[in-house]
Amino acid sequence: MAPWRVLLAIAAASLVPVAAAAEDTIKIGFPMPLSGPASVYGVPVAKGAEMAVQEINAKGGVLGRKLELLTRDSKASADEAVRLARELIIKDNVDFLVGTLTSAEAPAVSTIAKENKIVFLAPTSKTVQLVSPANLHPYIFRLASNTDIEGRTGASIIAGWKDVKRVATIAPDYAYGRDAVGAFVDFIKKARPDIEIVDQQWPKLGQSDFTPFITAQMAKKPDAVFCDVYGGDFVTFAKQAAPLGYFKAINNRLVDGGEVGTTDEAQALGKDYPYGIWSDAYDPVIWPENEPAAHKTYIEHLKAFTKEKYGSGWAIMGYASILALTEGIKKAGSTKSDKVAKAMLGLPFDTPIGRLTFNAKTHETEMGEFWGQMVKDDRYPFAVMKNPKFLSQGPFTQ
Amino acid sequence: MADVSFLFGQFLGGLTTAMFLFLIASGLSLVFGVMRVLNFAHGSFYMIGAYLAWQVAQWLGPMLHSFWLAALAAALGVALLGGLLERLLLRHIYGREELYQLLLTYALVLILGDAAKAIWGTHQLSVSRPPGLAGGIEMLGITLPVYNLFIMLIGAAIAVAGWLVLTRSPSGRMMRAAALDREMLGALGANVGVLYTGMFVISSFLAGLSGALVTPIQSIVPGMDVEIIVEAFIVVVIGGLGSFWGTFWGSVIYGQVLSFGILVLPGFSLFSVFALMAVILIVRPWGLFGRPLR
Repeated sequence: MAPWRVLLAIAAASLVPVAAAAEDTIKIGFPMPLSGPASVYGVPVAKGAEMAVQEINAKGGVLGRKLELLTRDSKASADEAVRLARELIIKDNVDFLVGTLTSAEAPAVSTIAKENKIVFLAPTSKTVQLVSPANLHPYIFRLASNTDIEGRTGASIIAGWKDVKRVATIAPDYAYGRDAVGAFVDFIKKARPDIEIVDQQWPKLGQSDFTPFITAQMAKKPDAVFCDVYGGDFVTFAKQAAPLGYFKAINNRLVDGGEVGTTDEAQALGKDYPYGIWSDAYDPVIWPENEPAAHKTYIEHLKAFTKEKYGSGWAIMGYASILALTEGIKKAGSTKSDKVAKAMLGLPFDTPIGRLTFNAKTHETEMGEFWGQMVKDDRYPFAVMKNPKFLSQGPFTQ
Repeated sequence: MADVSFLFGQFLGGLTTAMFLFLIASGLSLVFGVMRVLNFAHGSFYMIGAYLAWQVAQWLGPMLHSFWLAALAAALGVALLGGLLERLLLRHIYGREELYQLLLTYALVLILGDAAKAIWGTHQLSVSRPPGLAGGIEMLGITLPVYNLFIMLIGAAIAVAGWLVLTRSPSGRMMRAAALDREMLGALGANVGVLYTGMFVISSFLAGLSGALVTPIQSIVPGMDVEIIVEAFIVVVIGGLGSFWGTFWGSVIYGQVLSFGILVLPGFSLFSVFALMAVILIVRPWGLFGRPLR
């Protein structure tokens, strides 16, 4: 055969299966911040989703078809997430949308999902606005907890500290921080009418110097603090607050609802972590006692998949989102968004952190998180959560 | 409320913010003042400095003085990078419209941001305070972290050194001459090319140094470059574009307005700073210490 014929044959042979595979896969559009400050979480969430897709495909996929994840960088911007969602729907013909990280992106993409009648599952956005009665539509679903649950649970912890009378709050100045602190204040006032809110600070997201906020708060002499500063901001906040004597002044009675109880923050801060504070995590990753077997297997896979020593507490959100969607497709027996959306109402699904169910009314799992005190553990060079406890609603709704 | 020790604490808090900003803004101001180049990539140099400091500190391990060696290595590394970029890219756009400078330096922001992501990933990183500067000292009933005090002293030292070099040294005279009329200076036999490269190296050194010095009190995350450049520009604009002392006082005012602004309007921390900038730009469009443009 002449060389050009060989080339042609190779080209033809390589084209055919690709084209066939592309037709057969179930396409999931996945806009997620992969650059900028939010990528600290966006990247592990995307990794978790990739791992779930790989595992499901290894078992033969769903309805005999393989899953295909189309990951795009949303840069944590609502505009960019909307543009990507449109492009994924129109150009890439995705069957579903999963993704976005922040409370700015998710509500924006939700309107696109509604317009195009395509199922959209938000793994991490917490704002109550996302599925509030005014914004709810048949195609929007949320895996994450929400700001009401977070604020309520934080309040239940502080309410349990009987000698606390003066409480302060500090949270980033946007939808997430405002909503969570609002819920916290509502619930703490109901639970403990004797508690006074003595100070509220609102640094911006990405604040580089918290010092003035910290000194202003300390001057009001709070006994305990509810905090929603998270991610890189929390690392900055903790490092600036400690030498000012902030944590000492409140006896480490700070409850942070921004998932700084994960290995991500603990590893970043190392020995600078303010040991003794309370926080939450979707996945504590390191689970010293009573670790469920499914979680153990999952973490082993995750460590191998990401080639990381400990694994991230955020990967679970991407991972469980793909599992949830897969269950929905299975139950519907179809990849049509109309059918899958109906199937997902009231749908239970198993994850490495336990069984979750989409509430048929609110379209969210209303999941809680693991809460606990962050303590020193000689086995690890960073803080770990002592006895992670899954708190889902707080005592007030029971 | 009007407790003296509390107000003093707030003042020191504002001063800490101010001196951190001055460290980064001083290099930006220097390059604009002398070279008339608006270097958007200055924040990226700062970010690279932070990552380099972390990297070198990792390599050195728990060695004594490892932080200081890491900070110095980071500053020198960034100075070298700045010098290279000036020689290869920036020198082609001197004297052109600002738009070209904006495009080029913005392109550098994107390239350096992606390069940092490729090398160091998207994890948040952190460096501990150097031993010896980890504690705090009691002053008038408030605690001042020693590291913050150290930063204030460094800021003041850079301000004084910058002023001395600019006003009292032969090279400072050259710099001021270059700011006024570059071509005339060249015609008089001065080597303007070397002068510009030197300026840019010094500015990059300051950016790298400030990036390294903030690592003990800030997280190192992707996007810290863009976050800081906005604040640095506000400070430079308030003080007057190109005025070195203006940048110093701009930083001080920014810190105090932020610090006391949150006492008056607790929910509007951003508002007070931007309102200040708006007012100054209306009253004195050329900034507090700048000269009106011809």
